[in-house]
Amino acid sequence: MKNPNLKKDLFFGSFWLTSTLLVLFFLFIIIGLFTYSDLGMLLGVLRQPEFHFAIKLTLWTSVTATFFAVVVALPCAYVLSRYRLPGMVFFDTLVDIPIVLPPLVSGIALLIFFGPLFGDQLVKAGIRVVFTPLGVVVAQWFVAVPYAIKSFKQAFNGVDRRMENIARTLGFSPAGAFFRVTIPLAKSGLIGGLVMTWARALGEFGATAMLAGITRMKTETLSVAVFLNMSIGDIEFAISTAIVMLFIALILLIILKTVMRKEVRV
Amino acid sequence: MKPLLLQVSALNVQAGRFALQNISFSLEMGAYFIILGPTGCGKTMLLETLAGLRKPVSGKILLKGKDITYLPPEERGLGFAYQDSLLYPFLNVKENILFGAKAGKKGRDVNILKRMDRLAEAMGISHLLPRYPSALSGGEKQRVSLARAILTNPPLLLLDEPLSALDPQTRDSMRTLLQEIHQAEGMGIIHVTHDFNEALQLGTQALVMNNGNIQQQGDPLTVFEKPGSLFVAGFLQSENIVKGIIEREGGSPWFKNVENDLSLGPLPEDLLRGNMPNEVYLVIHAGQIEVSCGEEFCDQRTNSWTALVEKAIINSSHVDLTCKGKGCWHVTLSRHEWQSRAMDVGSKVKLSVKMERIHLISNS
Repeated sequence: MKNPNLKKDLFFGSFWLTSTLLVLFFLFIIIGLFTYSDLGMLLGVLRQPEFHFAIKLTLWTSVTATFFAVVVALPCAYVLSRYRLPGMVFFDTLVDIPIVLPPLVSGIALLIFFGPLFGDQLVKAGIRVVFTPLGVVVAQWFVAVPYAIKSFKQAFNGVDRRMENIARTLGFSPAGAFFRVTIPLAKSGLIGGLVMTWARALGEFGATAMLAGITRMKTETLSVAVFLNMSIGDIEFAISTAIVMLFIALILLIILKTVMRKEVRV
Repeated sequence: MKPLLLQVSALNVQAGRFALQNISFSLEMGAYFIILGPTGCGKTMLLETLAGLRKPVSGKILLKGKDITYLPPEERGLGFAYQDSLLYPFLNVKENILFGAKAGKKGRDVNILKRMDRLAEAMGISHLLPRYPSALSGGEKQRVSLARAILTNPPLLLLDEPLSALDPQTRDSMRTLLQEIHQAEGMGIIHVTHDFNEALQLGTQALVMNNGNIQQQGDPLTVFEKPGSLFVAGFLQSENIVKGIIEREGGSPWFKNVENDLSLGPLPEDLLRGNMPNEVYLVIHAGQIEVSCGEEFCDQRTNSWTALVEKAIINSSHVDLTCKGKGCWHVTLSRHEWQSRAMDVGSKVKLSVKMERIHLISNS
């Protein structure tokens, strides 16, 4: 007898097959990394001064870039979320540009801005951006800030404006209502956005390479270290660094998922 | 006359293409003021403007004689509660109620804490103080929201459809609670709703709005019995609205509907106020038409006519009848009357109306 549900079964069966194949592919990609490495090799690389330099530089630059991204993104995202004024679409689109641009192109644009355009004035003011660790921070910030704005805007969109109105009628100033009501209500979304922003800054390579250069033990972030060592044939160092980055990414994703799950529960 | 708590004059507020136009009304001390209107007529916008959450384009708002038109909401000291309570989910009930006191750095003030306890007791939410909003029912949330709004003794409480999101039983108990709060606290209340029963039960003054304009204001019963326009009559669900003309017979005015051969009168002269044109609408509420069994004598002099019961909807306390005879008439009678008179669908009945109970609306 012909199964009447066969078509439906086949339809959703194809969905399951696609999902399973994707999971397997991703797993093999990750396992593939480990097959070119072993624990001894990994520990050996972890003891190298170059690795210590790269991880320290990556952490402080990405945290600094994330901090400044949050400082800028909070007000921008709130304005984009709350106000409907002429020109807002232009503002919203402009903010998206670093997401759409290839990081290398962002890097070139930054290089021109901080080099030929305003480089001399900045150097006179004692600020050196091009080919310095500060350039790393600037490149990471530029690439990561749109992600912060996007996710924060989404978080603010989820806060009923009337919650803020109530706080105002209860005696809170606009700033009081923002910090006492809006931020706590958007907390989960903001933390999620913060983690995504940090993750984007952490893995930044293209714009960093253009603005800060690829200089060993000077502007060598973890991504730059992987590129540098791959290009000179030091596969062990490159793969070990890649594995460390993979672990950092996993930890960030676990934090993100935990926060988001809590948000769903609320 | 009591002194005025709030005076709103020629208020104009713009929000995109929608505007509140030339809104003027005043509120006596301790009044329970109802703002009625359909969805989207600008009721909430008016309430938010009074609270300082929207800036008017022009006009004036005086609170106890003080101009507060452009004062920010935190300096007005008014209580405000929305229909869906909007409690802060990251605070428990006690913290939610005390939230306003914290803004004035009085969160630990002994008097404020005592007041909170008294309010919680009066509203029957003392046992809920440690709970979070997610563990409360709709009625409980609304009680907490009210307690939060009145903790700091505002002179005026603004309520945006506080009962509309509640089930009928909870709504009844909340109505009673609102009456009790109003009497106990003595504050003025502005209550926005689209339910006229709330206005009749709670209000001492009422205002009907449509499309950003005031349509009518006055005491709720007068607004209900004497709607000033076809819109107000329709919005307040005046069940019988009949178009007709005024004709004089023997010097007295009569209402005539030629189409249905209906003639009612003589009309009291005070009903034809001002420049009432000849073409008018007659408004009679369903409860104001008397119904009796059909054998009785009907004639024009007693303003009665015969009709057939076409439809009967039996409710818990009353029966809604649709009767056909000289037009279509909606009539309400108690279940007891319905049963004792042995009426049914298809019965011949006599409908009659007393002239002092009818109301006329100008066709213009």
